[in-house]
Amino acid sequence: MEAQEREPVAAGDTILRTDGLVRKFGEFTATDHVDLEIERGEFRSIIGPNGAGKTTLFNLISGALPVTDGTIYFDGEDITGLSPQQRVRRGIGRSFQISNVFGGLSVRENVRLAAQSVHRDEYNIVESLFKTTDKYERMNERTDRILERVGLDDIAEEEADVLAYGDRRRLEIGVVLATDPDLVLFDEPTAGMSVEETQGTIDLIEDVLVDQTLMLIEHDIELVMELSDNITVLNRGEILAEGTPEEVANNQAVQDAYLGGMVE
Amino acid sequence: MVAGVIQQLLDGLTLGVVYVLLAAGLSVIFGVMHVINFAHGELFALGAYFALALIAPFGGTAFFAALIVAPLIVGVIGVAIERYTVQPLYGRNPLYHILLTFGLVLVINDLIYLIWGPGASSLARPDVISGTVSVLGLGVGVYNVFIIVAGSLMAFGVWASLEYTRYGLIIRAGSQDRQMVRNLGINIDRYYSLVFGMGAALAAFAGIILAGTRQVNPEMGMSVIIPAFVIVVLGGLGSFKGAVAGGLLVGILQESILRPYFPFLEGMVIFLLMIGILLIRPQGLFGTEAPEDESGDLLTGSRGGFLDPQTRNRLGLAMILLLALVPLGAGTLYSTFIVTLMIEILIWGLFALSLDFIMGYTGLVSLGHALFYGLGAYVVAITIQDVTQSVIVAVALAIVISAAIAWFVGFLSIRVAGVYFAMITLAFAELFYNAIYRLDTIELFGEEREVTGGSEGIFGLDPFYGIAGIGVDLDSIGIFVGTTVLTGQLLFYYVALAALVVGFLLTRRMLQSPFGSVLKSIRENEQRATFLGYDTVVYKRRAFVISGALAGLSGGLYTLFTGRVFPDNAEWMVSGEVIVMVILGGMGTLYGPIIGSFTFFSLEHVLTGYTDRWRLVLGSIFVLFVIFLPRGLVSVPELLAPYLPGGPGPGPQTEPAPEDSSTGGGD
Repeated sequence: MEAQEREPVAAGDTILRTDGLVRKFGEFTATDHVDLEIERGEFRSIIGPNGAGKTTLFNLISGALPVTDGTIYFDGEDITGLSPQQRVRRGIGRSFQISNVFGGLSVRENVRLAAQSVHRDEYNIVESLFKTTDKYERMNERTDRILERVGLDDIAEEEADVLAYGDRRRLEIGVVLATDPDLVLFDEPTAGMSVEETQGTIDLIEDVLVDQTLMLIEHDIELVMELSDNITVLNRGEILAEGTPEEVANNQAVQDAYLGGMVE
Repeated sequence: MVAGVIQQLLDGLTLGVVYVLLAAGLSVIFGVMHVINFAHGELFALGAYFALALIAPFGGTAFFAALIVAPLIVGVIGVAIERYTVQPLYGRNPLYHILLTFGLVLVINDLIYLIWGPGASSLARPDVISGTVSVLGLGVGVYNVFIIVAGSLMAFGVWASLEYTRYGLIIRAGSQDRQMVRNLGINIDRYYSLVFGMGAALAAFAGIILAGTRQVNPEMGMSVIIPAFVIVVLGGLGSFKGAVAGGLLVGILQESILRPYFPFLEGMVIFLLMIGILLIRPQGLFGTEAPEDESGDLLTGSRGGFLDPQTRNRLGLAMILLLALVPLGAGTLYSTFIVTLMIEILIWGLFALSLDFIMGYTGLVSLGHALFYGLGAYVVAITIQDVTQSVIVAVALAIVISAAIAWFVGFLSIRVAGVYFAMITLAFAELFYNAIYRLDTIELFGEEREVTGGSEGIFGLDPFYGIAGIGVDLDSIGIFVGTTVLTGQLLFYYVALAALVVGFLLTRRMLQSPFGSVLKSIRENEQRATFLGYDTVVYKRRAFVISGALAGLSGGLYTLFTGRVFPDNAEWMVSGEVIVMVILGGMGTLYGPIIGSFTFFSLEHVLTGYTDRWRLVLGSIFVLFVIFLPRGLVSVPELLAPYLPGGPGPGPQTEPAPEDSSTGGGD
């Protein structure tokens, strides 16, 4: 596939909206009345100091944690009460750090498991117990297509555990892509990476997930400024500021509370 | 009337106090180290036996001395157990502690048999605490009062030392956050040994005071460990307060309410209570937040793959052919007993396979697989006795009913994770085991009909291998193979072999299907599987149903094999033994459990030639496996590979093969 550019965001087409999202852990409020609105095709970064509630926000959106209060709308529908797997099926993908692929399974199996989830309606329960996986054409076609897309087709039979660093990263992104998401949540995909590795990962995400809406938690402010359409700054569970990179960079409150502290 | 009620209450309180002491140690050990100590009952028994040995030369007057010395000895044993067997397993999945301590049960129990013999004795006690006193016109046993007072003082002392001493503070802090305590420069490992030793001493103390009113016998540990678990779960794993409340509750419920007034429900209510608590409030009545499952995976032997698939298939086929030849040599090359032994290996191989299907592939450790095995065994027996002689109908019913019950148990319990799942399956199995005794006979159309036969069981079955009159009676036919004639058991051997091969191929096929892919992904990383869009609970439940069905089949086969069934087929030792086999062979492979079954029975067979106490040896081997070779025998080739000169290593069949070289199947 030839390289595509991300298309400009179409205003007024909201894919994800949160309304007064609250999450408490005992007395501690990790997410405090967060209202978000993400446009389809947008690249949104979430930044904020440690403990600002970034990962909790992702956990609420992906369903890993139940909300204490508030509502989450995806594609205009209320998904607040849905389980994580139901949200994945609706199109919310979540990427994990690369150590999170199924290490004991082959590269192909990793991707196929994701593809199988998408095509699960194409087989009945009895068949799925006894018909071997290689008999499912559409699922395997999808797997092959994605392996090729992320450049892993020639090492598809390797065990994921033995992959080189860069290949694991490709695999992780391939697996997310294979779940056919409309929105992908990335929680610090570049944590612990060198500068080149970070750039490589970001390039890969931008290249492969060109049709998806992306939400990214990232510490590297320069990177965030360069990539994002919009940035949300969280502080102590609340939205401190929101807007384009320029707007956020020039926001006095952000400079005081966060950016000032970051530049040490 | 009133006098009777008070007497019952006093009995309940007496047993309750003993339970409190037993459960307190168990609970604190779990709270601090997250270790579920199955051997706690054996430490309880050891206390009574040491006291017996100490008192014997001196008579009843030595009772009080024994009450102090014996718990100290057992405490030291506890420290040694913690240091040399439990400690190496910290950081692994907590389920390995269950396995380890189960192995210790086998070892200690057989040691007791070995040293003190199988008989029951009574503990002499001094005159001071014998006889009865009159309280408000009621004759009250002085010893009952002694148990209540001494036990309460002991429990209070432990509580106070946990609450108010420096040691107690460190122990409590360690149960909250052990890394934090380490960071303070405190050597928490020493405290772990101390806690374990203290728990052991408490159990021993409880054993001695109970032995003063009941008999001392080798099974006394086995008989209290399950109630002790119930109590700990009811009160809340890790909670001292919970152990006290739970112990008194169960003691009074059992002795003061159920036994005198609802004997039919005795032994069942507490398990229903346990199941209810685990489902509604897994942390128990007094427990705080359910403790985090310690990280650490179950260690599977699935990566021993040296052989390419084709070679493995050929090897498997060769194995089956070899197994098919076994009955032909009976009576000439070896005694027919070997065939009987092999039948047992095949049936239990299937049973172990069924357990591994959920344990090795989805990470669910069932401590109650005897439920499905026993269910299958009873369904076949009852069907043949009361409904039809047709084996086909009986076995089909066994499979269907076991699957249905597995669905029900799975529906209730699979969302409960880790250690709690293990406990809930144990409770269901114990419920069934107790129900067998209660469902001795039922009234049906005004006619008394035998159902389970209670403790006698069902025997004298006359199965017919066919349906609707078409088929054979294995006992009355013979098949000639050359000059050898195969009859009875020799023919049944093929039934068992066919069941195992079919079960093996079926599960192997499933693992190659989309369903199996998901199971494997759950084993690798359940959370990730969820975020691929899979409802992992549904997949685990399906696996549990398949596992239950196969276990039911194996139980049914065992009934056909022995021609009888009795409650022992469903007791918790059965669940334990099948886990031993899975671990010996190696989890997460389909042939591992079969190798495990082969090893288990071969060892038993060889060892019983030398000693009745073969479980001592088996238990020791098992303990060593859990510590040093947790991936089982199937992982041996992989471990040896680096030391072997060139080429692929030996196949998966590297177990020490005794006289008969046929193991069960390859992958």
